[in-house]
Amino acid sequence: MSIEHIKGCIGCGICVQTCPTDVLRQDVKTKKAFIKYPADCQICHLCRMYCPVDAITISPEKSIPVVVSWG
Amino acid sequence: MKSSQPKPDMSRRKFMALAGGTAGLAAMAAMGLSPEQGECSPNIPAIDVDKMTYAENEADVLVIGGGMAGLFAAVKAHDAGSKVMLVSKGRLGASGQTPFAKGIFAFDSSSEKMTLDEFVATVTRSALGTNNQVYTRQMAEHSLARINELREWGFFESPLYNKNFTKPIKERNIALKERIVITHLIKENGSVAGAAGFSQDEEKILIFKAKSVILCTGAGGFKPNGFPICDLTHDGTVMAYNIGAKVTGKEWNDGHPGRAKNAAACFDGWHGMFERKPGITGVEVHHDLGVDLNYKVYATGNAVKMGPPGAGGREVVAGGPYVPEEFKRRNGPPQGEKGPRGGRPPEREGGAPPPGMGEEPVGGSSAGMAIHKSEGLVPINDKCESNIPGLYAAGDALGSYMAGAIYTQIGSSLAGSAVQGAVAGQSASEYCRGVEMPAISEAKMDEVREEILAPLKRESGYSPAWVTQTLQGIMIPNFIIYIKKERLLKAALAYVEELREHHLPMLRAADLHELRLAFETANMIISAEMKLKASLMRTESRCSHFRLDYPEMDTENWNAWINIYKGSDGSMQFEKQPFDSWPT
Amino acid sequence: MSTFPERSLLKESLSVVTILAFFQMVGQFFWTRANKSAVAQLTMSKIIKYHKIIGYIVVMVLLIHPFLLVLPRLFESGVAPVDAFVTIITTLHRGVVLGLIAWSLMLALAVMSLVRKRLPMQYKTWRVVHGMLAMVFAIIAAWHVINLGRHSTLVMSLFISMLTGGGVLFLLKTYMLKKKKTSEA
Ligand SMILES: Cc1cc2nc3c(=O)[nH]c(=O)nc-3n(C[C@H](O)[C@H](O)[C@H](O)COP(=O)(O)OP(=O)(O)OC[C@H]3O[C@@H](n4cnc5c(N)ncnc54)[C@H](O)[C@@H]3O)c2cc1C
Ligand code: HEM
Ligand code: HEM
Ligand code: SF4
Ligand code: SF4
Repeated sequence: MSIEHIKGCIGCGICVQTCPTDVLRQDVKTKKAFIKYPADCQICHLCRMYCPVDAITISPEKSIPVVVSWG
Repeated sequence: MKSSQPKPDMSRRKFMALAGGTAGLAAMAAMGLSPEQGECSPNIPAIDVDKMTYAENEADVLVIGGGMAGLFAAVKAHDAGSKVMLVSKGRLGASGQTPFAKGIFAFDSSSEKMTLDEFVATVTRSALGTNNQVYTRQMAEHSLARINELREWGFFESPLYNKNFTKPIKERNIALKERIVITHLIKENGSVAGAAGFSQDEEKILIFKAKSVILCTGAGGFKPNGFPICDLTHDGTVMAYNIGAKVTGKEWNDGHPGRAKNAAACFDGWHGMFERKPGITGVEVHHDLGVDLNYKVYATGNAVKMGPPGAGGREVVAGGPYVPEEFKRRNGPPQGEKGPRGGRPPEREGGAPPPGMGEEPVGGSSAGMAIHKSEGLVPINDKCESNIPGLYAAGDALGSYMAGAIYTQIGSSLAGSAVQGAVAGQSASEYCRGVEMPAISEAKMDEVREEILAPLKRESGYSPAWVTQTLQGIMIPNFIIYIKKERLLKAALAYVEELREHHLPMLRAADLHELRLAFETANMIISAEMKLKASLMRTESRCSHFRLDYPEMDTENWNAWINIYKGSDGSMQFEKQPFDSWPT
Repeated sequence: MSTFPERSLLKESLSVVTILAFFQMVGQFFWTRANKSAVAQLTMSKIIKYHKIIGYIVVMVLLIHPFLLVLPRLFESGVAPVDAFVTIITTLHRGVVLGLIAWSLMLALAVMSLVRKRLPMQYKTWRVVHGMLAMVFAIIAAWHVINLGRHSTLVMSLFISMLTGGGVLFLLKTYMLKKKKTSEA
């Protein structure tokens, strides 16, 4: 999976704001970020770089099939 | 929670094998229609449509988009005395393409050997006349001033741009609204009157009234794998087209390859370039990253592994896109918009090559995107003004042809967005002085609201994720947009028209995220149609447009850009605009 | 199977140090006279010495733990350490607030120990205040760790609760017994 997991989150919400493709959301109760729409992750690492506690782990693998022009 | 996200139902390997194979179109279509994802299925909304709230906002100048262009548009419109509001789908400096660009061009006449005239002439030679010299010159002329402002805001001190972009906005108290997806431009009495969209965080529709609107919405693509542009779907272009603006540049292509291993991993593909601080580039004009590599693979198969940067793997293949002698590269792969050269890149020397270089490449990492600044709204003058009074565009959203239809000056894309943003901000502000705040009729507002809510209200329909995958299956595999042939373009067009006619009106959404996807998908379908039709129309090959059936440059008939606009009957119309002229 | 980048050695080490410090801190409950059976072979002065040395070391580590969190950002790209730190302490998330309270209590605990002799109270009173403070602090710190810790899996959380709970009960038990003894006498 693209964006893998979030651990040690303090619920600041920055990653939710930062993700260009709107992959993340905050839990209403705990305020912690979670991966709501993994299929839309473009593996750009912006959320990881902006997270104050470096809570986000991202793998290079997309969770849905990858379309290319030629290969 | 009910969400209509597709489930991974096929291994990537298998899928790629299919997608790359000769059975391309058919296979993709068959796969795309797998019932799990594709069935026209009931929509079970996760939000209550009736609870959606409405808010109205007002500003003299509404800037849409929070990238490099949007930043300068807002700042300069404010400084020229207007009340400005900046809205963006994403976060300021952390959405669109801006966060990933690390090399910015400055034309410093005190240190460059070339004069400004010579620079413009060089770009024009490389661009084979496709560039608009007025915009090429404007970019170079103002680049240094913009860079000095950026430096003051701390731009060169961090790999992340949000903080330093926020600084000038905060200092000026400019209203900033993030995570608002703009879906409509509003026109009243022939002039622009504002825009409308919805929030991704609360169930809220927002209407913006403004005397002038500056589109800084960037470019777009088909949510391709390997380029961090999946948040960009040519929204500005399509919204403007819908209210009668002329748009251009759809036949050109950014030809960036990706890498075979984990093709979708933009961050990894760019070898950590996203983590670098930005730096400044000087004059360095190329003729890069059109479709030459794609042609080579097409002609010879993907056998030749690209050597490490600077090494072989670039032996000449007969035929294919024409590269002017002066700009032929003797060694090294094209570098494109790579990182700073003489800047201060930590670790790596000489800038990271784009993905696919130095390793096994795959095609289409930026599929759907044209050369920066070649696609977008048609400017009617050097002030970034469109043919709709009050509507401006800047940066990647403006079809200024600043660099021409191929990558010429390295780092000029970022610089061009900054320069054009500033020019548009200034001119929009001047325009505002002469006009009253427009009124938007109730009827118009109701209409827009209904259109925004439609996918949520639809009781059944197609999931945007599935329609997007189907569109990707038509537009991306098998060189369709790279090595163009009439037969294949027409085949793809028939399919895309079907999507536009039948699937687009039936896009459904269960929540705000999917609502955004629904609009993005619709915009991609329109862009795809434009792309195919413009590609069919341009019966020559030049720069990043290559027709296998018309491989030569045709200076007799095609020293012209193609403008696209909506006819009075709603149909897609095309016209030629001779190079070095303004639209009539 | 997914393969994703492991955290760097530095980051993982810093986490481990913090967690070890936390456990040592809970261990303080058992390095006291309360735990007579286990520390029987040691003389009282030795116990107190260990308790003090460990106490000061652990407190030092945990006092700088909030800064250690953002330290690795110095060596990599991303948000600047100072900005990250400001974001952390200005986020009023429950876990962070608990951390802040625990941090302050811990500071108070350390200062009270440092200046014990100069405090206008009897040794016995001091000890009770110290013990009480330690209990409140430990509970809040444990809550903080369970709430925020990236290594706080279910098993880890249970373990932390049991250990902390055990320590606190242990102390309460001594206090109860003592009260009984005094009332008997
Ligand atoms: C990986 C990569 C590397 C690059 N490297 C370089 C480089 O080294 N040098 C260089 O000069 N150029 C480079 N470029 C190109 C450069 O990044 C762009 O040309 C430039 O940043 C465009 O800026 P912009 O402000 O015009 O548009 P963008 O930065 O794309 O901004 C578009 C904005 O519009 C917003 N938006 C879009 N749609 C909507 C909507 N419907 N509603 C509301 N808001 C919306 C987006 O959220 C975003 O904020 C690179 C591009 C990429 C992808
Ligand atoms: C900052 C360093 C610390 C110092 C210098 C210190 C010092 C002491 C001393 C001198 C005593 C008295 C020992 C005795 O008479 O038996 C004591 C008791 C105790 N300490 Fe600490 N301590 C420190 C930190 C801690 C911490 C972090 C905890 C627990 C979280 C803790 C828990 C206790 C307990 C439970 C007692 C027993 C109280 C009692 O018997 O009433 N101490 N400490
Ligand atoms: C200013 C006060 C504090 C702040 C802002 C703070 C912040 C944090 C944050 C954000 C985390 C989660 C990040 C991660 O797990 O890597 C964390 C974890 C942790 N904190 Fe704190 N903390 C504070 C005080 C304390 C104190 C006083 C203690 C100990 C008594 C403590 C012990 C721990 C431990 C053990 C972890 C778990 C680490 C892990 O699981 O890897 N913290 N803290
Ligand atoms: S940025 Fe980090 S700490 Fe903040 S909400 Fe996201 S994951 Fe949590
Ligand atoms: S890696 Fe990029 S796309 Fe994926 S969740 Fe993070 S910010 Fe979003």
